[in-house]
Amino acid sequence: MFVQQLINGIILGSTYALIALGYTMVYGIIELINFAHGEIYMFGAFTGMILMTRFNLPFPAALLLAMVTAALMGVTVEYVAYRPLRRSPRLAALISAIGASIFLQNLALLLWGSRPQNFPSPFKIKVYQSSFFSISQLEIIILVISFLLMVGLSFFIKNTRTGKAMRATAQDRDTASLMGININRIITITFAIGSALGAAAGVLVGIYFRTVNPMMGVMPGLKGFVAAVLGGIGSIPGAMLGGLLLGIAEVAGVAYISSQYRDAIAFAILIIVLLFKPSGLVGLPDQEKV
Amino acid sequence: MRKRIGMVTTVLICLALMLVTGCEPADSENTVKVGMVGPLTGGAASYGTSIRNGAELAFDEANESGELGDYTIKFIPEDTESVGTKAGNAFAKLIEADKVSVIIGGVLSAETLTGSDYVKEAKVPAISPSSTAVGITKGNPYLFRNCLSDELQGYQMAEYAVTELGLKKFAILYTNNDYGVSLKNAFVEKGNELAEVVIVETYMDGDENFKPQLTNIKDKNPDAIFIAGYYTEAAKIAQQALEMGLQVQFLGADGFFADELIKIGGDAVEGAYFTAGFFSGDPSPELQDFIKKYKERYKATPDMFAAHGYDAARMIIEVIKKYGPEPEQIRKGLSEIKDFPGVTGSITIDEDGDTIRDVYILQVKDGEFNKIR
Repeated sequence: MFVQQLINGIILGSTYALIALGYTMVYGIIELINFAHGEIYMFGAFTGMILMTRFNLPFPAALLLAMVTAALMGVTVEYVAYRPLRRSPRLAALISAIGASIFLQNLALLLWGSRPQNFPSPFKIKVYQSSFFSISQLEIIILVISFLLMVGLSFFIKNTRTGKAMRATAQDRDTASLMGININRIITITFAIGSALGAAAGVLVGIYFRTVNPMMGVMPGLKGFVAAVLGGIGSIPGAMLGGLLLGIAEVAGVAYISSQYRDAIAFAILIIVLLFKPSGLVGLPDQEKV
Repeated sequence: MRKRIGMVTTVLICLALMLVTGCEPADSENTVKVGMVGPLTGGAASYGTSIRNGAELAFDEANESGELGDYTIKFIPEDTESVGTKAGNAFAKLIEADKVSVIIGGVLSAETLTGSDYVKEAKVPAISPSSTAVGITKGNPYLFRNCLSDELQGYQMAEYAVTELGLKKFAILYTNNDYGVSLKNAFVEKGNELAEVVIVETYMDGDENFKPQLTNIKDKNPDAIFIAGYYTEAAKIAQQALEMGLQVQFLGADGFFADELIKIGGDAVEGAYFTAGFFSGDPSPELQDFIKKYKERYKATPDMFAAHGYDAARMIIEVIKKYGPEPEQIRKGLSEIKDFPGVTGSITIDEDGDTIRDVYILQVKDGEFNKIR
């Protein structure tokens, strides 16, 4: 049973990790907590649902298109809500982020109404049983996609020119700019990738839990943020680790304590980390970001 | 110029006032005022508006048919905006300013609890068509209800599951609010009396991931899971159980009763049993007649709340016919209701002001709701 709960935690955690990556990448580059990220996740889930149910696209195509749509949306939000405030105090950008979040929630409410909508699963239910645990085909697909995306991102950041430029920008924006890196382009790419990952998480959670609604981004958005802080905000491996740990902690809390404490556990972790290790598990006090 | 505008405004205001007051027919001695307290806007608005529509239909019918003789009923709904604290003001206004003879409401259990003291003190009877919390009418001779209590549903489901379905080991998964807790307590009590409840787990409304609880439940290997909650979560629980290879019978209460249960749950909820106080597919002529009239007037299918609102209003009309329009006469009449033929079935009021009535058992079969009992 313990092994089963661990698997439950890893599956939940892998979606938190995908969301946390969006927070951490944006923070690494422009030191902004992008509170609209949860809404990007929600729009990604809705896009995937609409593509699959109304346009009958196959799952991989819908996932990819949802990621592209969300990337465009993330870039637009940055352009409209954050770029004009680039030179303003950080608080102004933060408030603008909260505004963008509320705007997007209400836009979704207007477009789709407040009732949860059905997200039919594209996969037949198939369960693999062993004596210790059982896992369904869908859960394996979710895990594989999340891990592929995370490995892909790590490779991109480490080994490509753009990835290197992103790391340089995170370290020191002005110097990077002097070295000929187009900062605005890097920021756009960061928002695009972070939003695409958020949308992927949204679609995966949508097919896993079978419904989408305009408020679905609020809690996972906050949890993704907690995961990013837990790992060390700005650190990519930290976000992945933080997401997984948060998922496992939550499942353990529900399974062995009570479901009422589920969200309390997530935020207690946030407070404890901020008190004792504000730089997070992986982050160093004066760390190299992204 | 300025003075002129001032004069025009004054005239307009006077006209508006005349229009407003002019619309209200003068209350004669023969007008019986019936108030209603419930959420007509806000989060719980759908409950309140359904009940108001049902009651309004009944009162308008009675006024048109002249069955009340010299009396005409004036129906005064008060909106609580789904805010519990506004219920007190609504009760006070109806009692003190409007001087109503009887009140339909509150709709939400919290509203009824708030109003309980007001009606007791003012000696004005109230009947709630939807407050299901445990023991809400107890100890207050002026408070009644005509809906199914959560307790009764829990008892009946446990009894049915053991005696009719032959199930022996039960797991319970309940939503952590008044509704879920009352259902859970009743099911645990009856279930342990007749068979065995092996595990009780909880969740919160709006939860999406039930795997941790279901993993614990699977470990205990029960025959059935009683889900004390609402349709969205119930459908997801059934789905996730299927995905874990957990094959059990699903049981529930009237929280299951919405098309979304089948839409979201699909094959996973097939075969699930649940209790309900109302079933629109019931062929009884009273019910089908009500559904037709309601559809004609409101262009919508009546739900359980509309039907209970209609029944509450019909009970009030019958009581006025028989005993008279004074609050004390209505209280006496309501307390003596026995085998009242409502559109939701036969209703009897017991000594606590609570309802004794048939509980339907429904089942999901081939993607539709079917009445089993």
